Amino acid sequence: MCPEHASAHWVLACRLEDLPPGGRILVTIDTTEVALFNLNGVVYAINNRCPHRGGPLIRGFLDAAGGIKCPLHGWRFDLRDGSSQRPARATTYPVKIQGEYLYVLLTTPALACRRE
Amino acid sequence: MHQEQITQLIKEEYAFFLQQRSGWSLTAGPQDLELVAHALRVLLHARTTPDFLADYLALVDCQHADGGWSPFSADHESTVWVSAFCGLMLIRGNRLLGHERLARAVHRAIDYFLATQRPDGRWVDPRWADLDTTSHPVSFFNVVIALGESYRRSDVQRAWEQGVRFILDHQSPDGGWYDNDFHPSGVEITAHLIQDALIADLVMENRVRGVREACAKGAAKLYALQAADGSWDGENVDHTMDCTRSLMIVTRVLGDEHGREVITRGLQWLIDVKNPHGWGDFPGMETNLERTCDGLDTLLKYQAYCSADPLAVVRLWGYVP
Repeated sequence: MCPEHASAHWVLACRLEDLPPGGRILVTIDTTEVALFNLNGVVYAINNRCPHRGGPLIRGFLDAAGGIKCPLHGWRFDLRDGSSQRPARATTYPVKIQGEYLYVLLTTPALACRRE
Repeated sequence: MHQEQITQLIKEEYAFFLQQRSGWSLTAGPQDLELVAHALRVLLHARTTPDFLADYLALVDCQHADGGWSPFSADHESTVWVSAFCGLMLIRGNRLLGHERLARAVHRAIDYFLATQRPDGRWVDPRWADLDTTSHPVSFFNVVIALGESYRRSDVQRAWEQGVRFILDHQSPDGGWYDNDFHPSGVEITAHLIQDALIADLVMENRVRGVREACAKGAAKLYALQAADGSWDGENVDHTMDCTRSLMIVTRVLGDEHGREVITRGLQWLIDVKNPHGWGDFPGMETNLERTCDGLDTLLKYQAYCSADPLAVVRLWGYVP
């Protein structure tokens, strides 16, 4: 991997209507699983695999403070920035809405390297 | 469910497990020690430990000076949960291997747990809820006591009892154990505590008042939480394996026949959702080695649970020699 050549791309994730308030959806972009949550109209995107043991955060437990707990061992991550009181940080992705569609910003180092 | 089916599944899954050896064996390089410990447990219960001495010696090689282990073999900071799992595998494995280096490593592990217990009886690990963490050194000490290990015996007895009392003191009136930071549902913690920490006392000498009642209430809580399809915790494969195994030993020791139906439903669900090889964390997810080790362990324990020997399944927790 050559991070100096990494580039970020807005990638289509889903239609907005597929993620109503209170909803959640898992999308796979290339090989990256992204879990999307709509909390009271605000959409958050987080890497689906818990950095502890790989548990699927899409099946996790949401709390009112904007956290998601992994269903395997209960590690909690803040959906805004992936921070945690546990010894790990989850990867989160910026989200934007354009028209009827929802996009996430993914970094694609491999693609950047190939372009080089 | 036919025994022939279970036997065939064990055979197939064990062959798959061996094919994946480079993913779990320390002889192949640095590893995730939680996974290593899961794998060594499979070897123990498949009765193939004597063929894998090099794996046990490699585990001794990555023990730290304080007697503990880190979650990854190449790291240097000891943590309680994985240290207890490693120590447990060493003392149980050494019954079959009889190796002096393993015996010394077990003594160092005893030193580590005696040094890290908090005054209120708990052990702490940032990766796990305190109750879950505490159940692991208690489980290790259960086996230390059951096997007659005499090293620092009175210190071990005292630490063990403080740990058991910490767990008993935190049982909810509904029979479950909970941790708001980690496990609001309490399923996994309850399953862990009754099988790994508490039930052993009934097998040995029943020295702590309240253990039988706590185990019965914990088992009843697990019965109540089982879904109609046989799973627990929202089709959670890991937690269903935990509950199914936990009820095998707890109901066997308590003499509770109601458990058989619950256990069979749990196991049938696990068989129904398995992948062609191994298990994932939830139905439809890709196979991972840790869950596959747990799945194999569940099948091996079920085989023992169905044995005519009532102690056969208890032996697979190490609580009887």
